[in-house]
Parts: sequence; C-alpha cells; structure tokens
Amino acid sequence: MKRTVQYILAALVVLLLWEGASLILLATRGRIILPTPVATLGEARQYFGELASAFGASALRFLLSLLISFAIGLPLGLLIGFERNLYQALSPLIYLTYPIPPVALLVFLYLAFGVGETVKVVVITAALLFQVLVAAQGAARGIPRTHVTAVRSAGASRWQLYRHVVVPATLPEVLTAARVSVGLGITMLYIVETKLGLVGGPRTGLGRFIEYYTFRAELSLAGVVGLSLLGLMFYALLELLERWLCRWKHVGGPGGA
Amino acid sequence: MIEVDGLAVEYGAGRRSVLALDDVSLSVKEGEFVAVVGPSGCGKSTLLFALDGLVPPTSGTVKIDGEAVRGIRRDVALILQDAGLLPWKTVQANAELALRIQGRKEDVRGVLEQLGLAGFERRFPGELSEGMRRRVGIARALALHPKVLLMDEPMANLDSITRERIQNLILQLWKRLGFTAILVTHDIEEAVFLGQRIFVFTPRPGKVAEVVDNPDMGQVDYRDSEAFRARVHHLREVLVGSAA
Repeated sequence: MKRTVQYILAALVVLLLWEGASLILLATRGRIILPTPVATLGEARQYFGELASAFGASALRFLLSLLISFAIGLPLGLLIGFERNLYQALSPLIYLTYPIPPVALLVFLYLAFGVGETVKVVVITAALLFQVLVAAQGAARGIPRTHVTAVRSAGASRWQLYRHVVVPATLPEVLTAARVSVGLGITMLYIVETKLGLVGGPRTGLGRFIEYYTFRAELSLAGVVGLSLLGLMFYALLELLERWLCRWKHVGGPGGA
Repeated sequence: MIEVDGLAVEYGAGRRSVLALDDVSLSVKEGEFVAVVGPSGCGKSTLLFALDGLVPPTSGTVKIDGEAVRGIRRDVALILQDAGLLPWKTVQANAELALRIQGRKEDVRGVLEQLGLAGFERRFPGELSEGMRRRVGIARALALHPKVLLMDEPMANLDSITRERIQNLILQLWKRLGFTAILVTHDIEEAVFLGQRIFVFTPRPGKVAEVVDNPDMGQVDYRDSEAFRARVHHLREVLVGSAA
C-alpha cells in the first residue's frame, strides 16, 4: 500500500519534471520541442488501439526472450559455477564472449536468421542470457560449504543437491540480476525493433511505433512512455517473483528464545 | 562399535596437499559418549567427516559394526558446526531434510516437540534465535533415529547460558535414546561435561595424544563438583603441554 503511494508520487514528479522541461524549451527556443504530458497523453488516447497493439507485441517479444534466457542461462550458469571441472573448462569462454554486444553482430544475425521475429528475439535473448548466466555462475560459486555438506551428509544425489541447495541458494541473486538487466533488455528491444522493423507497421512493436511517428512528436513520445511502462512492468514482475519465491530472505529478525 | 585404525586423511595432492589426520586409532563402544578435544585445525572435523563417509581415508580403516565405511550410512547422523540449516527451508523442512533425502516418510513432529520447537514449524531459520537454530540442527539429526550421532562443535559461538542449556539437552537425549555419540569440541569444560572418555588431539596433523577416562560423566550436578574441576585442570595441562 505504502509502496503504491510512493510509486504514484514518483510518477507525478516525473510528469512535473517533463512538463517543466517542455515549458522551458518552449520559452527559450520559441517553439515546441518537447510536447507536454497533456498533449502526449491526448494523442495517445486517440491512437490507443495502435499503441496497445505495439505494447502487446513488444511485451510478448520481451517475455519470450526473458523465458528463453532463464531456461538456458540458469541451468548452464549453475552447472558452470558449481561443477569445478566445468568452471575451469568454460569460464574463460564466457568471459571472452561476454563483452561482445550482440547488436554489433546484427548484420550477421540478420543474414543468419532473416528479418522476421526470430532475429529480434535472438538479440534480446543473447543480452539477457549472459546476465542470467553470469549471475547464476557467480552465485553458485558463492554457496557456503556447510549447506552443501548438510545435504551431502544425508546421502543426497547430485540432483537432490541441486534441488535442495544450488537452485534455492542462487535464486535471489539471479532474480535480482535479471531485474537489473531489464533496462538493458528494453534498450535491445528498442534497437531491434527500429533497426529490424522497417518492414512492419506501427503495431509491430513500440520501437517501430516510435520510429514510425518520428515526425509526430506527441505520438512518438507516447511510444517512449509505453516503452518505459513496459520496462517498469517487467521490473515489478521480477521483484514480485523474487519476493514470492524467496520469502525466506524477507522474514524479520529473531523471535522467541 | 566404531573402530578407527591407522587413519590418515590428506586433502589435495602434490605440494599443496595438507595432512589433516595422521595415524589415528581409536575405538568407541556401542552407546558410549566420547569427546574429541584439541586446538583448531587439528583435524577433528575431518575425523567426523571420515566416520560419516564424506571423506575417504587416505590410508587406514574406519569401521562401524565391523563394516568399513564407504559412503553415507543411514544409521549415522552428523550435526554440523552452526547447525548447517538451509535458510530457505522452514524449521519443519529443515528437520525433515535428511529423512526426505533418504526417501523416508517418517513424521518429525515428535522430535520437534522433544526439542521445544513445536509451534515454530513454519518459521524460517532467519526468524529464530541462535539457540533455536542449533536445536533445529539437532532435530534434523535425531529425526533419522541414528545409532551413531556425530557432533561437530554444536555449541560453538553460543553465549554461555545457551551453551550450557544445549549441553544439558544433548546429555538428556543421549541418556534417553542411547545412541553412540562422538562430540568434537575445542572447549575443555564441554569435553569433560559430555565425554565418558576424552581423546586429546595434537595440532596438524591430528593424532591422538592422550585418552582421559572420565567415569563421573553424567552424574547429577557434575559441573559443580570437585572431580569436574580436577579433570578440567588435568586436561588443560595435557592440552597446553601438547600444543607447546
């Protein structure tokens, strides 16, 4: 409840700053450079259907990429971080490939996967996957020995070790890393939707929507607002997931003696 | 009956290797309570890990009931330093952990009750006091109904009042349940309070320097008796002597 109020207040502050910036630019330059919030939201209402379709398409694309990066990055990262042999064999490979921005390889990816949906998801996934993988690997390396011994001394199999210790121990860190990476993911989304979206209409994604209406400042800006709401949505989603799956992290101090 | 004969354990290989235990021989009778005391890093924990089947002997043998220990045995339970609880599992899930891993369906309610943990089943370790956390660790081991209970400094880092309470609790449980107990500690008074026989270990590599008989262990108000103080004094002389 308190958090909701804080978010509403923060949104009001953003709107005020935006309004202020519009007015200052208007006063100093003598013409509209940055449309005001009211003008933007007015246009957004008129094109609501189109905007909603673009939002939905982008959200789906992002969700799919997020799910794939977890499905591949989490198990792979945990294995590499926890199995010493794998770590020695594969960690140099990860650190060599980690700094390569997938967008820089766009031309090659474009040739390999075509201009359709696949290549967009591949680029976003590649960016998120590394974040999840590196976080999972680091978290798995930091698991306290006593947790492992506790389970091993009961006779746990490798699978039980992962189920009772490795996965739950690393989940908070991995989810936090994923949450922090939402910003990066949204940037990637924007880039692939503008660079690889030239053939589609404004309904094919928020990036394309922003690009398509470049010369209608209010609408273009409405697309940017949509993009930030999309980011916020996934950020909140991952935070809720973390609070629910890792309840133990959020319990209070000692009670009883 | 536990028989350890010429046990040596070496960690790692080559120049980086560490000899944790060297030529340790001892035997523990069924139902006996034995304390192992020695300075930090003398391989006391390694001895327990070898008895639990977590660490294979580099040389020598470890036998329980005439059978060489190979891997984890279901009738041996280990209580880890700082309890080794999993913070993401509730009290009940932690207490059940060892049972469930072994595919056993037994109920832990009785054990939790015995240890004064009834009503806390759904709490997480982070919500408990340190004393309660240690009791959950004990519950997890006892839930297995072990024949042999191995304890690795179960009272380390506790305040003196809680430490004494848990020591009394362990003594009570041993009298009631009759398991064979091996307690590793660096606390001399604790060793005298809980060990019918006390094995004094030398620093790395760990070896048995002396075995002290402690026939008065378990008597009423033993802690306050003259005999207790005399034995603590004797043990201190042995330990300080062997550490020099």
